[in-house]
Amino acid sequence: MPQEPKLAPTLGELLQERGVSRRAFLKYASYLSAVMALPAGSATALAEGLANARRQSVIWLSFQECTGCTESLTRSFSPTLESLIFDLISLDYHHTLQAASGEAAEKAREAAMAENKGKYVVVVDGAVPTKDGGLYSTIAGVSNLDMLKATAKDALAVIAVGTCAAFGGIPKARPNPTGAAAIDEIITDKPIINIPGCPPIPEAMAGVVSYLVSFGKLPELDHLRRPKAFFGETIHDRCYRRPFYERGLFAEGFDDAGARQGWCLYKVGCKGPVTYNACATLKWNGGVSFPIQSGHGCLGCSEPDFWDQGGFYRPLSTNLREMGPALAGAALAGAALGAGAAWASRRHQESYQRDQSAAEGDKK
Amino acid sequence: MMTQTLHASIPQEPPRLTGMSDAVFAEVAARLAEVVAGASAPPIELTAMPLTSEDRADLEQRLGRGEVFATIESAGRSEVWETQFSGVWFVRHFGENDRTASECIEFGAAPAILFSHRADMAAAARRLATALQPANAHETTDH
Ligand code: SF4
Repeated sequence: MPQEPKLAPTLGELLQERGVSRRAFLKYASYLSAVMALPAGSATALAEGLANARRQSVIWLSFQECTGCTESLTRSFSPTLESLIFDLISLDYHHTLQAASGEAAEKAREAAMAENKGKYVVVVDGAVPTKDGGLYSTIAGVSNLDMLKATAKDALAVIAVGTCAAFGGIPKARPNPTGAAAIDEIITDKPIINIPGCPPIPEAMAGVVSYLVSFGKLPELDHLRRPKAFFGETIHDRCYRRPFYERGLFAEGFDDAGARQGWCLYKVGCKGPVTYNACATLKWNGGVSFPIQSGHGCLGCSEPDFWDQGGFYRPLSTNLREMGPALAGAALAGAALGAGAAWASRRHQESYQRDQSAAEGDKK
Repeated sequence: MMTQTLHASIPQEPPRLTGMSDAVFAEVAARLAEVVAGASAPPIELTAMPLTSEDRADLEQRLGRGEVFATIESAGRSEVWETQFSGVWFVRHFGENDRTASECIEFGAAPAILFSHRADMAAAARRLATALQPANAHETTDH
């Protein structure tokens, strides 16, 4: 009689062998449901889904990038709640983290693709150079462009991690000498999830993969393919300095009295009103802080073309002419929320423009 | 010249009560009433709620502590306690560096995390059965 093929153990069985109980799944699921704002009571379903799923094969491709995205995810590499993500996935290929190198590394990628055809997830960090046939970045003699196309062909889904993979990021900044492109400009026939950020928040990455493994479907995405759970609100929506914004109390420099009192950083270039991300709630380094709490405005790093928006230290309203209509609309809506704030920012803009004209006049 | 430490110049969350703890407290009352009436009530997830640290402290103080307190060691530490209102449980999970990873209020006889899962019980039963086999009893003395 033909033997039934032996199924791989479920995550519940696999982790049980290592002494990880179902309580750990429930705890992890409670944590993810909280950060993803899933409906109340969904932690139990998420925990059961994870425990009954099989380990997800992940092939991680790094292209035009700085390794910051990998750094971000691996910061939580200690035997804690946050590190459970590494038990849920089988990281079958990752330049930076894998022990194998050279031909053996490429063989590992090909083997994972063959064994998990149609079921593996491709994670990409970094943009893809497309100019001149993509010759500006190669791995093992293969251009990033060709490697991406070949690897994504039989994938279940592609997750573009970081702003470079999601939107082209810094490699795509003007004048974009390598013709850097985002993943969804190249792969058009697979489900794609963008998790932008420079780097992205690790919880967003862990949450999306866990959701995919547990429920077998993509989480809800916005118009830029970002998971709404993490990118549904602006930094400004949840910023603790918002009461100062509403009252028109702005820092005018990084060391003035307003800055010392924690006033709003709008006038020193904060892009929080037009930036969708979860830094204000999840924060960084294990929930310690986030840029605005450390005294610096948001750079808007999870938005397309953040590098080319006219200057990190220029107030948002002065950049509106250089922005797309959608972004400009969002900025204006943000400013309109507090009449006092809007008035103050208009006044500031006028004085900024006066200074600019004076400076330009001096140059002539 | 006035000197300032770097720390003093880092602005912190403005301390204040926003009224959110009143709203959550009222919701706790409503959900416990549902449970008492025989229905079930979903947990109140506190992690992502826009509560200030004062709101959180106020809520915790109003709910108080009851007869049960438990610590769970599973993927890091968790603390669970019954509040002074029977059937209202506070569940707090800790992540890296002992930061609060998530916290919620659950309703019912006991929160889900305290129950042993059927799969864990089945695995424990198998382990016990293995431990009882005579071959294993001699394992440590056989050479
Ligand atoms: S403009 Fe920036 S600092 Fe000011 S409230 Fe909005 S996000 Fe916070």
